[in-house]
Amino acid sequence: MALLTVKDLSIGYQTPRGLLKAVEKVNFSLEAGQSLGLVGESGCGKTTIGMALMGLLPENGRVSGGSILLEGRDLVTTPEDEMRKIRWSQVAMIFQAAMNALNPVQRVCDQMAEAILVHRPEVGRREAMERVAELFDLVDLDRARMRDYPHQYSGGMKQRAIIAMALANQPRLIIADEPTTALDVVVQDQILEEIKRLQGKLNLGIIFISHDISIVEQMCHFIGVMYAGQLVESGTAREVFERPMHPYTQALIDSFPTLTGDKRLNPIPGEPPDLVGEIPGCRFCDRCPKPESSCRLEPPAWQEITPTHHVLCDHCEDY
Amino acid sequence: MKAFILRRLIQIVVILFVILTVLFVLFRLAPGDPLTRMVDPNLTPEEANYLIAQLGLDQPLGTQYLIYLKNFFTGNFGYSFHYGRPVVQIIAQRLPNTILLFTTAVILAALVGISWGKIASWHKGKATDTLLTIAALVTHTLFLPWLALLMIWVFGYQLDLFPINGMISPEVWLNPQATFWDRGLDVLYHMALPLVTLFIMHFGSYLLVMRSAMLDTLKEDYIITARAKGLTEKAIRNHHAAPNAALPVVTSVGLSLAFSINGGALAETVFSWPGIGRELVFAVSNNDYPLAQASFLLIATVVLFSNLVVDVLYAWLDPRIRY
Amino acid sequence: MSTAADMTTTANMSLHSPWRRRLAESWHVFRGNLLGKIGLSLLCLFGLMAALSYVPQMIDPAIYHPMTGVDPLVGHAAPPSLRHWLGTDFMGRDILSQLLAGARVAFLVGVTAAFMSVALGVSIGMVSGYAGGWTDTVLMRLADMIMVMPTLLVILILSSLFGRLSIWTVVLLIAVFRWPGVSRVIRAQTLSLKQRPFIDAARVSGAGHGRIIFRHIMPNVLPLAFLYMTFRVTSAIVIEAALAFLGFGDPSTVSWGMMLQWVWKTGHMFQAPWWLLPPGICISLITLSFYMLGRAMDEVLDPRLRKSQQQAD
Repeated sequence: MALLTVKDLSIGYQTPRGLLKAVEKVNFSLEAGQSLGLVGESGCGKTTIGMALMGLLPENGRVSGGSILLEGRDLVTTPEDEMRKIRWSQVAMIFQAAMNALNPVQRVCDQMAEAILVHRPEVGRREAMERVAELFDLVDLDRARMRDYPHQYSGGMKQRAIIAMALANQPRLIIADEPTTALDVVVQDQILEEIKRLQGKLNLGIIFISHDISIVEQMCHFIGVMYAGQLVESGTAREVFERPMHPYTQALIDSFPTLTGDKRLNPIPGEPPDLVGEIPGCRFCDRCPKPESSCRLEPPAWQEITPTHHVLCDHCEDY
Repeated sequence: MKAFILRRLIQIVVILFVILTVLFVLFRLAPGDPLTRMVDPNLTPEEANYLIAQLGLDQPLGTQYLIYLKNFFTGNFGYSFHYGRPVVQIIAQRLPNTILLFTTAVILAALVGISWGKIASWHKGKATDTLLTIAALVTHTLFLPWLALLMIWVFGYQLDLFPINGMISPEVWLNPQATFWDRGLDVLYHMALPLVTLFIMHFGSYLLVMRSAMLDTLKEDYIITARAKGLTEKAIRNHHAAPNAALPVVTSVGLSLAFSINGGALAETVFSWPGIGRELVFAVSNNDYPLAQASFLLIATVVLFSNLVVDVLYAWLDPRIRY
Repeated sequence: MSTAADMTTTANMSLHSPWRRRLAESWHVFRGNLLGKIGLSLLCLFGLMAALSYVPQMIDPAIYHPMTGVDPLVGHAAPPSLRHWLGTDFMGRDILSQLLAGARVAFLVGVTAAFMSVALGVSIGMVSGYAGGWTDTVLMRLADMIMVMPTLLVILILSSLFGRLSIWTVVLLIAVFRWPGVSRVIRAQTLSLKQRPFIDAARVSGAGHGRIIFRHIMPNVLPLAFLYMTFRVTSAIVIEAALAFLGFGDPSTVSWGMMLQWVWKTGHMFQAPWWLLPPGICISLITLSFYMLGRAMDEVLDPRLRKSQQQAD
């Protein structure tokens, strides 16, 4: 049984203007020890999926269809008090350090101990603190800094602390939401190495959410490209990066500057469509460099290129 | 932290100096003979001369100023016209009464206001919230002396539940067999009405500030983290949101201290509670300048130190300042 | 919320000048705020009372004058009757006329003191924020010192030195002690406005400091100043009432605080609820209504507070 199977997942937000379809029929699965990178621009739905996996959708958000199977158990139908037990013990989240993810008036060690004690209160405070110390060692943080407050940490240290906290209860699945954004490149590299090492050591499943496809390519076994709430291409990292099929994926890879090669920046012109209301055809067709006449009228089908590589386009060609 | 306290203490001393100097200047500028203002005309010539020498009123301006400052810091404020006793004795007696009433009222109002504000934010938009918010709005815009009069009328006169003035019942205190407990209860009995009045006036603003602080805090990112960790909503509000929301409330307590002291003086006057505020009002009515000046200076000092306490409290609560 | 009505309003608004458009938009937001509407209606009621304060004397100056009215039939505190709708005080003076006159005084005192303290606060705040350096430090230290002082008690000690103060002296003193709060906010706004390009443009085109402050910065801080004025009005009214209540008010003016002083000092507080209740209710209500108005205006000025905004993720 796969660690995580997401089937036909659709998520919507109730807004004053109507139902905003943030995620539309997304499918993917993940085994333990593997990582999937979800890439796309802001608003494409990748963070929404991440929050849905944790059961943390905001008040006006709802899963409108599909299922999320964590080791066979459907999280969509799991009641809230059960979800509370699952959160952080089976699946945990790594937030951006740039966010205020740590409580400014609590010591870091206390916040981390809380993560442990909430799920295993019988452990007791002393043992929880020992575990926190071990976690500090695990992510290469100095134990002497345990009793400090978050504002005393640098960006990189905060990120390590957040990672350590996520691992407190040895979860099976980690959702990393842009964990290296707003860190400088050197630190970014260190953090990514750290995550990779921990994944190998603890056999974690990781969902890596990012807008930067180059990071995802170096970190993940699989890549899922998202656009306007839909998964438009998925496959192994190598497949997607070396043989991108969907015009959006191609444009995404193109838009990132490389050390060698073309020095110009190639942004993708246009904007994503409004997700309130029905969109009959392909969602990308307004920005597609090679639209066909049928693209606007009929939704594209999920095409298989190889058993692992799929794309949501009827007219893609090998470039 | 220590540097912070030291800096604030120096600020307080500077402000006190400024106030003292301004009062000194005004004292000389005001119409009439400054001498008669400080020296009771009913004193005998020897007593009067002694007092004049003590206060330095016959010296040149510069020396007078220095003597004036020295007197302030050594507690020599002259003689009260009305009581015929050294002013320092009178205000020393009154100060504890004010502190008792005022501090209790502010602490009570803050504790209740904060906890009800938290509850109101919990139930935002529902009946509890609307009720509490309306109650807070209405109570903190009431006119304190009027509320005090109403309280006396309803509870003291109509229902005869509480005494209508004073701090003690002479029978209890003069009775040699009365225990400490008896006397304590007696004071509490007299304190009930003024305490409730001050409480009603002040809890509202703490409630409103806490409520909006909680609503703001609940939008922060670390609340999402807390929820992601699997904490119950109750635990999130109490352990993560409330400690952060309390910070702006502490600030608002500090800012409203001056306003609260005004209210304290009014309450003391209406309830005849023998405190410094009431003494100031009486002294001004009776043209007892030495007592009025001393009462005012003492109140100013108390306000300044209360501000310091609030600032220290804030610094202690917010680790971003402490470290 | 996009309804046809909203669309027409938006369309209409774009036809007018930006200033008028902002006003129309503000009114639109204000209208949706219940508290603001209640506050404004109550204030109109009090305004009406103030305006009507001249009426009783027109009916019969001898009987209905708030200070000197003498009713040959009633020489003591009497409950409400047809002749005196709210009864009479201990001297037989009509309480309703006193109440109406008190409304007039409240507005006068409140608005004048508020206006002066805001004018002072805005000027000092702008100068302080614009000049920076020593001027800024000194002015803000001064503001800190003044802010700490309990206004009522300061006025008390001053009146012990200078004798009984007239109502205008009291208004001036209130203004002098209440400007710091406004000035801090205005200073903060000025600091942020100072960085904007249009200030540089003005300076480059040869405008002197004074001109920059008053022609360019001031119009942008005025809305905030206006907001703070509503809060200052209440504190001015309450301080004047408290002074009058304690017996330090201007003896030639009838204010609500003065009415409470009379009922208290003449020992009628237990026997004459028709005398005790109205002035206190009025002071409390006018404070409440200004506060509600202030909150509504806060929402108008700060879009983040508006409840009608909802954001989709």
